Order: sequence, then C-alpha cells, then structure tokens
Amino acid sequence: MFNGTADVMEALGRQQYIASDEIATVLFLAERLGKPVLAEGPAGVGKTELAKAWASATGRPLIRLQCYEGLDETKALYEWEYSKQMLYTQLLREKLSQLLSDAATLTEAADRLASEDNVFFSPRFLLPRPLLQGILSETPVTLLIDEIDRADAEFEAFLLEVLSDFQVSVPELGTLTAKHPPLVLLTSNNTRELSEALKRRCVYLHIDYPTLESELRVVRLKVPDLSPQLARQAVELVQRLRGLDLRKSPSVSETLDWARALVLLNAKSLDQRTLDTTLSLLLKHEADLQRARRGLSRAERDEAPGRAEDDPAMFRRLKGPRP
Amino acid sequence: MDDRIAQFIAGLRAAGVRVSLAESADAFRATALLGVADRAAFRSALRATLVKENKDAPVFERLFPMYFSSGGPPLIPPDQALTPDQQKMLEAALRALAGDLSRLLQMLASGQNPSRAELERLAQQSGGRWGRRPEQQPQITRQMLRQLGLDALAKQIERLLQQLAQMGMSAEGQAAIRQLLAANREALVEQASQAAGQSLARQLAEQPPEKFDEADLLQRPFNDLSEAEARELRRLVTRLAAKLRSRAALRQRKGDGKTLDAKTTLRANLRTAGVPFTLHFKKRHLKPKFALICDISTSMRPVAEFMLRLMYELQDQVGQARSFAFNDHLEEVSDEFILHRPDEAIPLVLHRIPPGYYATDLGFGLQNFCAQHLDAVDRRTTVIFLGDGRNNFRDPRLDLFEQIKRRARRVVWFNPELRFQWHTGDSDMPQYAPLCDAVHQVSNLDELTDAVDRLFTSRG
Repeated sequence: MFNGTADVMEALGRQQYIASDEIATVLFLAERLGKPVLAEGPAGVGKTELAKAWASATGRPLIRLQCYEGLDETKALYEWEYSKQMLYTQLLREKLSQLLSDAATLTEAADRLASEDNVFFSPRFLLPRPLLQGILSETPVTLLIDEIDRADAEFEAFLLEVLSDFQVSVPELGTLTAKHPPLVLLTSNNTRELSEALKRRCVYLHIDYPTLESELRVVRLKVPDLSPQLARQAVELVQRLRGLDLRKSPSVSETLDWARALVLLNAKSLDQRTLDTTLSLLLKHEADLQRARRGLSRAERDEAPGRAEDDPAMFRRLKGPRP
Repeated sequence: MDDRIAQFIAGLRAAGVRVSLAESADAFRATALLGVADRAAFRSALRATLVKENKDAPVFERLFPMYFSSGGPPLIPPDQALTPDQQKMLEAALRALAGDLSRLLQMLASGQNPSRAELERLAQQSGGRWGRRPEQQPQITRQMLRQLGLDALAKQIERLLQQLAQMGMSAEGQAAIRQLLAANREALVEQASQAAGQSLARQLAEQPPEKFDEADLLQRPFNDLSEAEARELRRLVTRLAAKLRSRAALRQRKGDGKTLDAKTTLRANLRTAGVPFTLHFKKRHLKPKFALICDISTSMRPVAEFMLRLMYELQDQVGQARSFAFNDHLEEVSDEFILHRPDEAIPLVLHRIPPGYYATDLGFGLQNFCAQHLDAVDRRTTVIFLGDGRNNFRDPRLDLFEQIKRRARRVVWFNPELRFQWHTGDSDMPQYAPLCDAVHQVSNLDELTDAVDRLFTSRG
C-alpha cells in the first residue's frame, strides 16, 4: 500500500515509468478507494505500460485481458471443461456402476447420481479465464483489461458486476468473491463512447501526449544511447509533427522506436537523408508522410522567407546548433 | 470545505457535466484521503472522480478556480517597492491631489486590499446576482472594474506622475511608481475576476439545473428547438443510440443458426480428438451497409445533424457506412466522421458545404453521385435519402434515382416534413416516393430513432 502520491511516483520511477502528478494521484486514489482505473487517451501514450509498471511496483503479478469484438464470458471469465468431465465419466464408469448397482428403481439410481452432482460441477472442471483468475488468485494481482472500447456493449455490461464487487456468479457453484480485491486498470482508445455505468464505477485518468520536456525524459530514460542533443532534436520534431493535422499522430512508443532506430543507424544529426529513411517509423500512413514532409518544409520556409521550395536545407532548423 | 465541494459539484452539473451521486461520494472520500494542502493533488482527485469524459475537462478547468481560489494575489504595499524618500513623496502627492484622485488609484498607490465583503458586494452589483452561466465571468469582471473606475485610471496615473514630477521626483522614482501601480492593477484585476467567479459560482449552485421533459422533447419537431433543448437532445441521442445498438446486436446474434459451421466445429473440438462435443453454427453476419445521402440546406440542418449523429453512434453495428451531403452539389463527408467524433465532425461538414437559399438541387446531386460515388452502392447497400425533396422546380433526375435503386438492396427515404405537406409547392416527393422501398416521416427524434431502428431489421 502506498503512503502518498510521492511514494507512487517514486515506485513507478523505479520501474522506469515516468508518472505525472496526475497519474500518481489517480493510482493512489484507486488503490485506497478500491476502485478500478479507467485510462483513456490516444494509442501509444503508455497506458498498457502503466499497468505493467504498476504491477511490478506493487509486486502483484499482472493478468491481462485483451478485448476484441466478439469477446464473451467463456473467453474472459470461465468455461466448463466438458472434455475433462467426459473423460472422468468414462474412467469412473466402473465406480459409477458399483454405486448404482444396488439401486432398486431407476428413480433411486437417478437420485443417487444427482446427489453426486457436485463431483462434476466443481472448481476441478472449471477452466478459469483472466477475470476469474484475477478473482480466485491466492496472491493479490493486478488486472489489466486492455482496449475495453473494442469489446461489445454487452460485455461491458457484464463487467459491471465484476468491477463493482469483485465477485462472479457461476450458476452451478454460486457466487465467487475475490480473496484479495485486484487492482484493475482498464484502457480505452476512445474509439467509442463507454457506458455511463462503467465510467461511474471507475476513477478516470486521461493520458495525453506528453509535453516536450517529459517526452524528452522518457526518451533519455528508455534510449540512453542516443546523444542528448539528438534526442532533443528528435523530440522537438515529433512534437511539431503532432501539431500538424495528421490521420495518426506519432505516439510516444513511436518516438521511442524512432530513437532506437537513430541509435542503430548511428545517426549523427537529423539530416534530410536520415529523415527520409526513418520518418516512416513515426508516420504509418502514406498521406501523413507526404503531409509531414510538406508541413515541415513549409514551417521552414515561413521561418526563412524567400528560400526556394526545393532547398535541401529545409530541415536546417533541426540540424545541429542553431544559427 | 465540504460545502464548497458540494457547490462545485452543483456547478459542474449546471454546466452540463453528468455527475452521479456515487461519483460525488467518491469525490468526498478522495479529497478526504489526500487533504487540501496540496492543491494539485486536490485538483487531480476531484478531476479523476468527477469528470469521466475528456470533453468535460475544459468545463472542469474553467470552474475549478472559480470555486477553489486563494482570492487572488494581494496588492504590493509601497514600502516593499519604494525607498522611504519616494514613499514620502508619493504620500505627499496623494494628499495634495486628494480631491481629484479616484478611490481606485488611492487603493493601488497605498497597496490597500479591498475587503472580501467589498468585492462581493461589487460583484453582486455588477451582474453576479443574475448570473446564469459560468461564461459570464469575464463580463462581470469587466463591469466590476468599470465600477471601480478603471477606465479613467490611465489619465489619473498621468496626473499623479505630473504632480510627482513637479514635486521634484527623479525619473527613476517615477518609473518605480509606475511599475508598482501596474503590478497592483494586475493583482486587482485578478482579485475582481476571482470574486466574480465565486459570486457566480454561488449563484449557479443555488439554481436548479435546467430540466427538460424528455418525452416532450422527443416529440418536438426539429425546427422548433431552442439551443438548450437541442443540446439536451444531443445528449439523448447518445443514449438512444446505445439502446438501438444493443437491439441491433441482439438481432444479429440470432442469425439463422441452422447451418453447421464445419471449420469452427472441427477446430473447437480438437482437444476432444475431433469428437464433436460442441457444435458451432454459422452465424450470419447481417451487418448492413449504408449509403446516406443527406440534404443539408438551411431548413434541413437540424434533422441532418441528428441523423448523422445517430448513424455514427451506431458505427460499430454497421458493416460500412458512407455519407454524402448535398445542397447545390454533392460531396462525400465520410472522412470527417472517420477522423473526428460526431461533435467535431458535424460543424466541419456544415462548414464545408455552405448553406444557400433556394439552392437545393437533388437532381444535380444525383448526377454528382452517379458520376463519382456509384461504387458506394452494391447489392448489400441500403441507400438512405434524407431530405424534403424540394428541388426548387429543378429536374428531379428520376432516371438516376432509378439507376441507384437498381444497384441497391433497398432505397429508403426519410422526410422531416409532415406527410400532408409532401404534395405541396416545389416538393418532388410524389415522384420519388413510389420508387422507394419505404418512406418514413421523421419530423422529431422519436420518429427518427424509430426509422433508424427499422433499418436494422431484416426487412428494413
């Protein structure tokens, strides 16, 4: 249990996750209030990463449930292992016939069989899926429900019971309650509106693209081999790209990929050639790439009016020390 | 502090943020945990528990300082900024001009803070009493400053400096006094602004949130909505869409369920050595495809807006939806909706295709459509026309309409006009209607929802 927000921030920092004040406060509250966290924000800003860091910071193993369209209870919660049940019935056939041999009537035999019912519907044959694993676990765990917005609305409704009381009803067994309420983090890329009921049960966290300074800290931390000067230039460029009207703005994870690529290519500066070959690591749409090239050159022209359009020095601002 | 938080929550609700009872209870628990000493943490705690949608964040950011503020920076007393000599001269000058100088300048020059009660009274007099919306804060602030005499301040300062110059103050000293006055002016503006905010906040907390009769709103014709009602109705659309979505999902789930899906069955039963314990049937994915052709002339805008909203809220139940908007010509607007959320996309679309009076021309629109976008229509597509069919006596191009109909699965027309008006004036409805598979009147949200719902049934 954390003692305060500073404590949270420090613990996450040890896991190489740079948390903002807001993230630290929300995680602290979630733990104290026993509520799930709903983290929303564009893809690739470190929502899933946050769950991983949170799990290792608290020393709780991470159980991950990836949502997708068509996900249902049998995949998320539990399933009866029919085949195992059938196998047991086969193997126990002799024992069964022994048990039933002295029954006088068919009804008596059926009754006797019914009284042994719970042999076949016991936790022995229950195949726990991530949610049930999280609830039944003997040790406290962290549960990551990733990209909840991809699951259907019905699945969201089904999650409500799990998230508010940390319990699950299995018709054959009754209600299973968590021994240790798990820490839950739901992530959403906001592709569709989540239901009010779900939001009400969660503490809300919106993670946006980081500021230049904090993104730079992330890059320095995760890609220490990149020279400080080049790292700053790279992050500045990414921040400028986010200012353009793109289909998909580069995210932090893409910045990191790019930074690693710059290290691998042994780049000394962000010259035209390096940009041409590596910009596709940041932008994944052809239209975006073209727009970015145009946008960058236009910004350059605006700063130095009168420069020809095809001037190879259009990225000069990004190169080396400034004039 | 609890009172203040309760007022803040009431203020959020008045500004249109949905805050449930459970959420406000969470906010109290969270703030009790973190305390109020750390302002940033206090703010994050309230934000995380009360605001569950990013679009409400700006409202929160605007309201927060109104309710939880320090009251603004204090004015700087002259003894901190000036040398004793300069102070003496300033006092002498103030005395000399006592009759001519406003109270405002006296306050600024002597660093005397207005009392809270004084600011409060001023805010009330300046319109805080009639405050209805948080956006009124700057307006009230301006009024307060005017009452304090800010308009004449520049002249008065010049007058004071003149007096000081006559009394033999150095240029340096004058600059220092000018700087002091400017800094104190800033501080006073901030104080007034916060007082206005607090006064407004109290006012908002006391007034009950606007209530609308839902049933009445649903029945109200689109052209007869006030801005506030339209806002409320937009919120309703989201909920209606959620309802429609689950109904549509249920219908799809049913499928026909009679044909054995051999592939899935084999795969599912591999662990029982191919002995089929569980059977899988083919689920028919009946996700419909739509092509929506929307008239967005001035008279049609309200209904077009709600139609587009509904369609895009239902995006996940639809195989593919492409939208086209026309007024005098036709353009595809699908991209706007793919890239933006409906709230942002609709203004974009309305901006892109400007309104014009008596410009509606579906005939020409159909010509554009057939020339450029006919690929949007195949035998699975339901084509939806949303419009009043009023072409200003231009050619309705029934031939093109028939061409589309031949390619499409169905052609449905939504008309926001009442049925008896369809045969009047320049309406081409009587000619289009027989060519459609279904024609629905959609004069209010109730009818519109119903008509959209029917698109998802198998017979549409």
